[in-house]
Amino acid sequence: MNEPLLRIEDVGVTYGKGATALSALRDISLDVRSGEVTLLLGPSGSGKTTLLQVMGCLLRPSQGRVSLRGQALHALDAEALSALRLAHVGFVFQHYNLFPTLRAWENVAVALDLKQFPPRQQQAAALQLLERLDMGNRANHFPAELSGGQKQRVAIARALAGKPGLILADEPTAALDGKSGQDVVATLQALAHRENCAVVIVSHDPRVEPYADRVLHLEDGRLVDDRRRHGNQA
Amino acid sequence: MPPPPALIGTSLLAWRNLSHDRARFIVTLIGVGFAVLLMGVELGLLVGFARTTSGLVDHSRAALWITPAGTTNVDIAGRMDERRRFQALAVPGVASVGKLMLQFGFWKKPDGGNESVALVGFEIESEALQPWNLVEGRIADLQQQDAVIIDRLYADKLGVKAIGDTIEINSQRARVVGFTRGLRTFTQSPYVWMTHRNALAYSRYQPEQTTYLLVGLEPGADVEVVRHALTERLGRVDVWKRADFARQAQKYWLITTGAGSALLLSALLGLVVGIVIVGQTLYATTVDRLPEYATLRAMGAPASYLNRVILKQAAISAAFGFSLGTLAAYAIVAISAYGNVAVIVPWWLLVVLAALTVLMCAFGALISIRRLVRIDPSSVFA
Repeated sequence: MNEPLLRIEDVGVTYGKGATALSALRDISLDVRSGEVTLLLGPSGSGKTTLLQVMGCLLRPSQGRVSLRGQALHALDAEALSALRLAHVGFVFQHYNLFPTLRAWENVAVALDLKQFPPRQQQAAALQLLERLDMGNRANHFPAELSGGQKQRVAIARALAGKPGLILADEPTAALDGKSGQDVVATLQALAHRENCAVVIVSHDPRVEPYADRVLHLEDGRLVDDRRRHGNQA
Repeated sequence: MPPPPALIGTSLLAWRNLSHDRARFIVTLIGVGFAVLLMGVELGLLVGFARTTSGLVDHSRAALWITPAGTTNVDIAGRMDERRRFQALAVPGVASVGKLMLQFGFWKKPDGGNESVALVGFEIESEALQPWNLVEGRIADLQQQDAVIIDRLYADKLGVKAIGDTIEINSQRARVVGFTRGLRTFTQSPYVWMTHRNALAYSRYQPEQTTYLLVGLEPGADVEVVRHALTERLGRVDVWKRADFARQAQKYWLITTGAGSALLLSALLGLVVGIVIVGQTLYATTVDRLPEYATLRAMGAPASYLNRVILKQAAISAAFGFSLGTLAAYAIVAISAYGNVAVIVPWWLLVVLAALTVLMCAFGALISIRRLVRIDPSSVFA
């Protein structure tokens, strides 16, 4: 078993104080490893998104420890957390969150620019990433000119810019039709397995489960089930 | 609007954020351009007025001006005795002393009606001061008994069409023998150039009187030493270095009368208008794109990256707006060359305008930057 990329120990997140305090996560402990697709399931309000925010260094937990690539998060300020996200985390959003005024390749290039890729190499690198996701022929299109599945592929290409170790995907299939959704999840799985990324997917979509190596189940902010799947769809 | 091919990263985001909404972009550019135009014209008027108020002094070749005591500007002065000329000539370092008379008079137009004019009597043989930008006639023609030269800008006002037209000055016949171009007067009483001898005849001056004495120095003479010596020797007069007298004239008309303050206030208003327009537009663009900024922040963009996008938007607005505004300002400068009021935008004023435009857009960007500081990257999952 390889070293965990992300380690979460006894993490709790509480919003508010006193009588109005609301516990979104309680006593969560888990490891996320490279090369695996982890599926995070649970009903609405169970804390999935909060846990994703903690995993993505977007939210500091109220208690417990989180470390990414061995770096403890609790002592880091907002800018240091940004730097950590930039170095190690790629995000895929339910509504793609592409920049509507930029072409597909420019959306990817912005991520490369953030990671201080040499400006002259950004376009070629962005096109290469889009080619990997079969989006090379749509590279010059604006998001409004792409289908939902194509937008999500561009978003995945953008998340892959700079080869992050951890890809966090929030409901990546929710806005897609059946075929597009399956294609997107298959792509994420391929990334985890072929490029040794850790992929965490939050989803309600039952079509996702066959592609997962591990399924976590959250209820009321607690991790109630953690099981590994064998013989998942490849 | 395709961007230049080199645009990437923050420059690309800034350009597209602005240019994507063309209507808003055009409104921004018009707003910034208008602010630049307002500042440029007001400051250009200030420069034009300043140069007009001191035009006679600036164009003189005299190192020193001897004026009646208490003189505050070149257009309004008392008179002094011509004997002081000889006293001045006796001061070491003085090479020449020319007489200059300046006196308001009444100009009766050929078809009736009067205008106030400023009679400028100078010595043709002296190089201390002569009319400049002569476009018709010759200065030598002024040696005729009733000859005068006026400026083309005021020809209509004075009812004159061409050389040879006759009019009356203080009820005495005079004849136009030449025209200058662009010699404006702040008092709006046009300069009427004539010999000192003729000026005495047209005015109520005594033959031994004059208004100013213009002093030329011997080579190597120290202007401050000579000025001091003249002050000591002549008494009851003021002795000015040329630049000091020019500044005094500008100060008198622009500050003492409040004319300059009004122009500066208008220029300041232009600056404020620009800040408001740029601030409002950038803020609206920023608020529209908050989810995109949150996405960038979630992706790991440092705050400085977001700030660079905003500042580049401000810089783009400044560059385009400045170009638009200065083009319009120079159109007004060109038109003003044919009018009584000069709008002058020299190169250094262009630099000042550029700096003010950058300042204006930077201030306009601050409110957006303050908004982005508070952005929560976790809102991308909201």
